[in-house]
Amino acid sequence: MEGARSGIVITVFSTASAVGKTLISINMAAELAHEGHHVCLADLDLQFGDVSNYLKLSPTRTVADAQKAVQRDADAFDPMPFLTQYSYKGVNFSVLAGPLELAEAYNMSPLTIAHIVKQLQYKFDYLVLDTTSTFSELNLSLLDLGTIITFLGIVDFIPTIKNMKSGCDTIRSMGYDSNKIRLVLNRSNSKTRIDLEDVEQLLGEPFYHVLPNDFVAAQQSIQMGVPLVLSSQSASLAKELRHLVGRYTNQEVEQTETQHGVSSWFRKIFN
Amino acid sequence: MDYRVILIENNRLMLERLSSVIKGAAGFELAARYQQPGDALGQGGVFKPNLILLDIDDRANLQFIPAFTQSFPAAALLCISSHWNANDSSHVVRAGAKGYLIKPFTAEELGEAVDTFGKSGMAVSSDVMAFFSPKGKSGKTTLIANLALSLARKSGESVAIIDADLQFGDMAVFFNLAPQSTIVEAVRDVKFLSPITLNAYFQTVSDNLRVLCGTKKPDYAELVDIKPFNDMVRMAQSLFRYILIDLPAGFNPISVAASELANTTYLVAMVSGGFELQHMQRALDVFRAWPDCEQRVKTIFTRVEPCNADMQEKLGLVLGYPVAAVIPNEYLLVSAAANNGRMAMDNDPNNPLAINIARLADAIIGQRRGKVG
Repeated sequence: MEGARSGIVITVFSTASAVGKTLISINMAAELAHEGHHVCLADLDLQFGDVSNYLKLSPTRTVADAQKAVQRDADAFDPMPFLTQYSYKGVNFSVLAGPLELAEAYNMSPLTIAHIVKQLQYKFDYLVLDTTSTFSELNLSLLDLGTIITFLGIVDFIPTIKNMKSGCDTIRSMGYDSNKIRLVLNRSNSKTRIDLEDVEQLLGEPFYHVLPNDFVAAQQSIQMGVPLVLSSQSASLAKELRHLVGRYTNQEVEQTETQHGVSSWFRKIFN
Repeated sequence: MDYRVILIENNRLMLERLSSVIKGAAGFELAARYQQPGDALGQGGVFKPNLILLDIDDRANLQFIPAFTQSFPAAALLCISSHWNANDSSHVVRAGAKGYLIKPFTAEELGEAVDTFGKSGMAVSSDVMAFFSPKGKSGKTTLIANLALSLARKSGESVAIIDADLQFGDMAVFFNLAPQSTIVEAVRDVKFLSPITLNAYFQTVSDNLRVLCGTKKPDYAELVDIKPFNDMVRMAQSLFRYILIDLPAGFNPISVAASELANTTYLVAMVSGGFELQHMQRALDVFRAWPDCEQRVKTIFTRVEPCNADMQEKLGLVLGYPVAAVIPNEYLLVSAAANNGRMAMDNDPNNPLAINIARLADAIIGQRRGKVG
């Protein structure tokens, strides 16, 4: 593959669970495909991934089969036979599904997965990686491989924010360029008593993008098995997801915003 | 009350050293000391001891434990040894000793041992409960924190939480604790500890509820090795009647080890309109490999609406496995409590969430009393 052009990898990561990583991942993949790009979405939440559930896919071959092929002959490995196609009204993208069996998931090798991801990079314009909420060996390598890390958070209650702060600090300590890490806030207007500005102050930078809370539209999309950006284009969440993808494809660079004050109780907890 | 101590220690140098510690300890009086247990049994009665320290490095001394408890019914017997051994500790307590102390000890450690073991004695049949969830955000930490509080209040016995959600444990935030020591230090130091010294690594929430907090930074998680973690939990079993272990989501070395160690593993999932039931079934398939799965593995669903017996049964039918408890959705109550370092149970004890968790605590206590009684 020397000299071949490699695609852009978007690693979707968080340090709290159930913040919408899978929903955002499938919608990013769908919107990128909708814009005409050649896209692959990889479900790397190996044990309990939901990509196939959310898209109502029944994959016959998965990342576990791809691993076996790599282990047989890494040099001759071709990832394409291990992908499942998703299509909706003329929009198509590929999915690398998670293992069907838990035992397979437990025995996946981070090194082999990294090899599979690198091979996929040469086959697609964009590769979207859905991950789990932990700094595992696998996720660390997926963060390394990412062109962009979408670090997803929600502002619901203090423990989640503590973990977002802790995750942000850890990622920053890895020495990535700041432009590689994009803090994205999901469900911005969900029920909470915590001010967004306080959280931004704590994290040390503003959110790159803010997605609104639209639980009903998101649930409907999951039940239909169709990404929101394709099924409910007028929904506010769909609009903002398209906007986010637009910013990624245009490679926009944001200026940092003004600093905000931190309320005293918030400072007390985190100092 | 002052303790009148009889010390039995075969090693002459150690006898002198420990005598000196006891003489210098506030609230303790060295009533008599012997090198042979037979001498203590025969002569010690004249000193009316209320605390006996018996060396068990000499294995032959183990056989004297019942005779001491019979001859000195008003005295507490603590065994002393140069090494901690979980099997020995269990054996000596079953034979009648109140506890187990590592020698040489300091005056503070002696005092703490008497405080810890004096009333109820060392726990030998503690219940270890591991809380496993297929995916995160299951409501597990809220459940554990409130359940531990309820168990402590209802049973009056000692309860501990071990926050083994190594990268992103939240127990310290839930209880508004600023721990000096965490699971990292407890696991690192365990080979040098005894139950008494391990106790100091747990943070106090109330008289009978303590918490071993999670790591301070995610990268410290890799400092927690499985074998010393298991040793630490076994040692903690000597201190607490109930131990609740909070685990990271999914199958990983720590969640597998804790589940294997526990008497009961609770599988916890939050109902939020996704694929939680399928994930629970997938996880249960793994636990079903245990021959005693149905006795050891229980399932709990959180955020259940409507939260009633019918729904509990319905979830069980879909799951193909009994559901042990259902916990209602009380997001605002739970988040307000967590944001303020308080427990939902304290904020509103009559809330359905508090009532359902209290019911689960009753079931756990009832089951234990049935087992022990």
